Formats: sequence, C-alpha cells, structure tokens
Amino acid sequence: MINVEITDLTRRFGRNQAVAGVSLQAGPGVFGLLGPNGAGKTTLLRMMATVIPPTTGHLRLLGRDPGACGPRREVRRRLGYLPQNLGYYPGFTVAEFVEYFALLKEMPAARVPAAVATAVERVDLGGKARTKLRTLSGGMLRRVGIAQAIVNEPELLLLDEPTAGLDPEQRVHFRALLRELGQRATVVVSTHLVEDVGAACSQVALMDQGKVVFDGTPGELTARGTEHGTGDAPLERGYTAVLAAARA
Amino acid sequence: MSSPRNDAPDDVDLGRVWISVAAQVWRREPGWLERTAGRLLRSPGLARALLTTPSLLLPWLLTSIAVLAAGAAATTDSGQPLVALLAPAVAAAAIAYAYGPGMDPAWELSCSMAVSDRMVLLVRALAVFAVNAVLGLVAAAVSASGAAAAVTFGWLIPMTAVCAFALAVATVARSANAGAAAGVAAWLIIVLSGRVASGHFAAAVTDTVLFLPYLAIGAVCAAVALYATRIPRGTL
Repeated sequence: MINVEITDLTRRFGRNQAVAGVSLQAGPGVFGLLGPNGAGKTTLLRMMATVIPPTTGHLRLLGRDPGACGPRREVRRRLGYLPQNLGYYPGFTVAEFVEYFALLKEMPAARVPAAVATAVERVDLGGKARTKLRTLSGGMLRRVGIAQAIVNEPELLLLDEPTAGLDPEQRVHFRALLRELGQRATVVVSTHLVEDVGAACSQVALMDQGKVVFDGTPGELTARGTEHGTGDAPLERGYTAVLAAARA
Repeated sequence: MSSPRNDAPDDVDLGRVWISVAAQVWRREPGWLERTAGRLLRSPGLARALLTTPSLLLPWLLTSIAVLAAGAAATTDSGQPLVALLAPAVAAAAIAYAYGPGMDPAWELSCSMAVSDRMVLLVRALAVFAVNAVLGLVAAAVSASGAAAAVTFGWLIPMTAVCAFALAVATVARSANAGAAAGVAAWLIIVLSGRVASGHFAAAVTDTVLFLPYLAIGAVCAAVALYATRIPRGTL
C-alpha cells in the first residue's frame, strides 16, 4: 500500500526554487527526510500536509488527489502534522489545545475525550494535562505538538524536526513511539539529526538544493560512506559522502 | 499495603482503565451556547473556534478597535454610500490579519485541518461583531449620547446579521467562498436599498469627488487581506 506518491513535484517562491522535481513513494513505516538547512525538506513536508500547493507536479496522499476540495478534506481528516515552528495559544491547557485540533480534524465528538487522553499519555504529559501552555518548557511544548498530531490516529503522520528541544531520555522514548506508529501508518520525519534516522527509520531520502540525491534504506546510506565520508558515526559518513558526490 | 496495580485481576487492562478515567477527568464540558452552535454549524470544531475567539486577546483587541473605527466611519452621514460599502472591507482585512497568519501562532497548523481556515475566519468574524454588538447595546443603554446607539444599530447589529447569514450560506453550501460572496451581496443590498429609500442614491453615486480616496482605501484593504492570507514562506 502506497500512502504517498510524489511525481516531479516543484515549488517556487518568487525566483527561488525550494523544491525542484522531487519524486518519492512511501508506504507504511517510518520515512526519514534528511538534508542540510535550506534543502527543501520543510517545503516538501508542507506540500504533503496540504498547507501549500505545489507549483507543478503530482501529489497523491492516501490514494487521493489533495488538489481537489473534497479529497483534500478527506486526506486532512486522516492526517497528522507537526510544523517546524509550532504556534500555540498560551491561554489553553494541554488537553484543551489537543482537543481543539481534534475537533478541527472532524473527529466524532464522542470519541474526542478518550483520544485526547490517549495522545497526551503517549507523549508522557499526563501530569500536565490541565496546565496552561504558557507555563510549559520548549520540550514539553514540542510534545504537545506531537500529541495534537497523533490524536486522530493518522494514517499519514508528517513531523518536521520532532525531536528539537527534547532531552535525550525523551528522544529515546519518542523514537520508540515512532517505530510503534510506523507499524500501521506512514510516518514522514524531516530532520537534520542523522541518529534519529538510524534509530527509527526504515527508509530515508536525502535532499539537497531542492532535489532528492539519495533514496534508500539507512543501511544503503551507511554503505555509501565506507570510503569517502567524514563524520563520527557510519550513517553520518554516508550522509556526507552522498552530499559531497551530489555537489561535485 | 499493596498497590492497586498488584491487586488487579490479570484480565484487566489498567492502561485502558486509566485512559477512560483520564478522559473523564480532563473532559471539558461544552456549555449550551457551544452545543447549540455546534449543531447549527454542523461542526463542533467551528463552535469551539467561535467561542474561543475573544480569548485570543491581542487579535480580539485589534479587531475590535478596527471594527468600531470602521463602524464610526460607516455611520457618519457623509452622503456617500461608498463609505458604508467599504467599511466591511476594512473590518474584514483587520480580522483576516489578526486571526490569520499575521498574528495567529497556530495558523500553519490550522491550514492542515479538515475544517477549512476560511470557515474558521468566518466564525471569528461573527464572534467579533456579535460580542461587540452586545457591548454596544449595553453602551447605548447607559450612554446619554446617540453615538453608541448609532454605531450599534447602524453597523454592529446589521453586520452581525450579515456575518450570520454568510456563515449560514457557507455551512449549507460547504464553501466559505460562497458564504463570503453571500455576505457581500447582503451588505450591498442593505446599504443601497437604504439610500434608495431615503432618496440619496443618485446624488451620492454621481458625486465623484471622493471616488479616488475610496478606491485607495479599497486597494489598501485588498493589499492587507492578500498579505494576511498569504502563504508564509518560512524555512525551506
């Protein structure tokens, strides 16, 4: 089952081409999107989240074309998205914030309280459920963002830098959650942390200057770095070797 | 003393029990107004957005100031119907900016939701006018001057009705654009029929001296609305 089908996708902002002809496919599992700053990862993720439309190319999500209004709404019901910069309403409590977005995802109202409790517990924020967001730390706010993304048990989960601000223990916990979610959903994780990809992803794409320069498994990426790469970990050496080859 | 976990029978899933307890404890019981709005709008999410509008304090204050200023201009007897016709554009631009990507911290997240961001903006517009209309009624009741009554009855209450009509059309048609078009049409009819009834329509339209300033105001409003609903570029 292919949940994400991207064919020759481009996105321009004025004269700047942020995404330049990307083609990818992803089924259930955790898909890592790696790349340096400015590679186009966030723009690609925002197109997949239906926040911005592509300039050209084809995008199919969960078997539907999100360019049309009806299918887009259906995709959004089954989608979870954590933006890179999660804004929050400081006067809301954790539970209220997650509930608000569960309702905007058009979850049946009767199912919402249990779904909110489950999502909040999964990110280990049960003790803070009735705490105002303005009092939480950056790492806790990131977990609130993850909770709203998973509250509807999405079939397609898009996470932009999800581990930013999490402490090491929480990152380990989060990677386990990712692997669990990836067993039945397609989880796309955009990150520049190579170790997150190595620990949680079954497939990885490496982007540079708006293009995909590698698409394969973490093992295949590691193998690319055995001779030319630089870095402390095998996956880092693969990452740098592929980037160097793409820029040569 | 042993813990409850140790005393539990083997076939009880304590995780599920805790989730159902937490769901009940953390559950927020919607009030009658939210339940009614949810039924009318066919969306508990929109009802929640409607009720939370005044709690987003800074956007609320900014839109209230813009709406009252536009109302003061619209209800001043200038003899020009264009003032009244353009006033909703000023208010709409302010609402789109304050509750859109200009100031809403969670706007990008809202844009990925099944309930469209434009529908959310429509309910926020209704909330802004409705609450200010109630405050205007109170001010009109306690104030000796007629200014509060003029703004309330000549602007806030009619605009609340127009927003409610636009939202009703949007809900039935399942399209925020259709609702906005219906709202604009309704306001045009209200303003122009008022002018025709008072016999000022022809004189007001043929007096072209102030057309240029009005067009400039309209262009500024359009620019603000476009800026407010632009796609933020963010990080690549």
